[in-house]
Amino acid sequence: MKTITKANMMDAIAILAQDAQVLVPMTVDGISKFSLWGSEGTLAFSAVNTLLPPKDSLFPQTEKMYSYQVENQTITSLDIHNEAKQQIIFGIRPCDMQSIQCMDDVFLTKTFVDDFYRVKREKLITVCIGCNKTAPTCFCESMGGSPAGHGAADIQLCDLGNSYSIVAQTAAGQAVVEKWQGLVRDEEGSVPEVSCTLKVDAQGLPAQLSKMFNHPIWQEVSRKCIGCGTCTYLCPTCYCFDIDVQNNGNEGYRFRCWDSCMFSDYARMAGGHDPRPSKNERIRNRFLHKLEYFNERYGKNLCVGCGRCLTKCPVHVDITLFIDKVKEVSSIESVQL
Amino acid sequence: MNEFTVKMREIARELLEKGEVHMIIGWEKGRFPQQSPPAFITSADQIDRLIWDEYCLAGTAKYLLDDKFEHRKVGLFARGCDSRAINRLVQDGQIDKEKLYIIGICCSGMKDSASNETALKCQECTHPNPVVFDLLIGEPVPESDKPERFKAVEELEKKSADEKYEYWTKQFSKCIRCYACRNICPACNCRECFVEQYRVGWQGKQNNLAENQVFGLTRAYHIGDRCIECGECARACPMDLPLMELNRKLIKDMNQLFGPYKASLDTEDTPPLGKYRLDDIEEFM
Ligand code: SF4
Ligand code: SF4
Ligand code: SF4
Ligand code: SF4
Repeated sequence: MKTITKANMMDAIAILAQDAQVLVPMTVDGISKFSLWGSEGTLAFSAVNTLLPPKDSLFPQTEKMYSYQVENQTITSLDIHNEAKQQIIFGIRPCDMQSIQCMDDVFLTKTFVDDFYRVKREKLITVCIGCNKTAPTCFCESMGGSPAGHGAADIQLCDLGNSYSIVAQTAAGQAVVEKWQGLVRDEEGSVPEVSCTLKVDAQGLPAQLSKMFNHPIWQEVSRKCIGCGTCTYLCPTCYCFDIDVQNNGNEGYRFRCWDSCMFSDYARMAGGHDPRPSKNERIRNRFLHKLEYFNERYGKNLCVGCGRCLTKCPVHVDITLFIDKVKEVSSIESVQL
Repeated sequence: MNEFTVKMREIARELLEKGEVHMIIGWEKGRFPQQSPPAFITSADQIDRLIWDEYCLAGTAKYLLDDKFEHRKVGLFARGCDSRAINRLVQDGQIDKEKLYIIGICCSGMKDSASNETALKCQECTHPNPVVFDLLIGEPVPESDKPERFKAVEELEKKSADEKYEYWTKQFSKCIRCYACRNICPACNCRECFVEQYRVGWQGKQNNLAENQVFGLTRAYHIGDRCIECGECARACPMDLPLMELNRKLIKDMNQLFGPYKASLDTEDTPPLGKYRLDDIEEFM
């Protein structure tokens, strides 16, 4: 198999950084996230997944859409900000790779193509590192993934101890590997087997949940929730956004920014009506979107099993415990409701 | 099972069976050993979920707002921090103390789930014993005033204005505006937060340094003399912002200007900034 030593990998990244923005896992001020190669912080390649997912690189928390200038009620300039630089996410984990697939579905398929997302996605190369250890909170396998790697990544690496194995999975990935001439060598080796210790049974969930809209389970699971946005803002797949404008006199810009279905004003309409008036309806929406609606529309879960929400929710609302609970509800009971 | 857990279940059973309360707020085990999130017990068959261990980090009192308009009584377990949070909500006119049954617990401190060391909020806690209760579990533990809890503020005060600015811009650039700090805070009990007043536009939705600072500073000022130092905001923050340093700076200044004050030790005292005194100092006027 093709491999690269860990020391050489730093050179390999430096080569890529010559003509692209390379994002790597780093710990910056105590927070692990994807940061620009060479910026201040400590490299964190050996951590499992980063606290902040790489979502921001395709779907920034705040993104200017267009800027304008107006004079005497006439637009004098209009700038649409839909250009992107070549980006490489180096060291993305399989769960987060799957989250990009989910976002691709949302922003690029089914009738509408979101240009702001598309331009970034087309200029993105993903180098995925398989996990050879999992955190106690990882459950990607139960959600249809695998800690070993992800087939959609341009390049798949696997940690062999002192080196990484390399498999280019797309033409773009192949082109990158060619740039590493002299750094890559051929070596015998085998990829270690890994498995998640946290397992849930997600089989048949969408069908079962579709009958549970009015089930008392929502009351029970939402009781703890304090209605913050931590779970959704740390989630690699949550993609809700709001659009607003920042106007200063005769000029300004329109922007979009993340929103969270857990916020009390998220579903509030003009006139004040709120179809999701309490955390009961909000938690229901979050879980059903992740585990039922998305499956119905795109054939996959909108939860990739990264474990971030269950680690960081201040009151430990745990989607895996929720799945267990749903499984305990007998199918007869859910049909009747 | 520890002694406290046994006691808690006994009390909870009695209260529920007698119909004294319709719900008990306590703690239960989550999936992982270091997680003991809040639990809401409404019937005798759920009582065995209740536990007490060193990971009961989250407060119980803020949840009282969910049942603000409930006519039946709620029972809740309360340590020093929870009991002050109850007082906070009562003082702020949010809840009716008559509708509570407070089971006090003398607390010897919790552990941080990640580091397994004593949680920062407990290291800095001055009132581990409940200040209000109907019933008490355990013997009062020793209390001290912990002047060292102002140490970080004192260190910051030594810095120049530019250094302070640099320090706080670094912190607020990390904020993702998840509002966990606000939502977990017993002093943040406005029905509608300034953050959500879109028509007025006090707080824009963009995530950038300016908006993040507007949020953090406005919140700090807004709870200034009402902060009970429970440390829940800093514990809840996923981005590890040292929010207690902001709160303690305000508390320290108020102690200097208006005399020593600790919020919500009882419900009678008016917070220094809410008090009208004819002989108030007016140096700034
Ligand atoms: S589930 Fe947890 S993280 Fe999510 S909104 Fe509720 S309290 Fe916040
Ligand atoms: S719902 Fe939670 S576990 Fe699932 S992908 Fe989102 S953050 Fe990860
Ligand atoms: S909890 Fe932390 S990250 Fe979230 S809004 Fe508050 S300060 Fe910002
Ligand atoms: S500001 Fe923080 S320490 Fe003060 S009452 Fe609110 S959560 Fe507790």
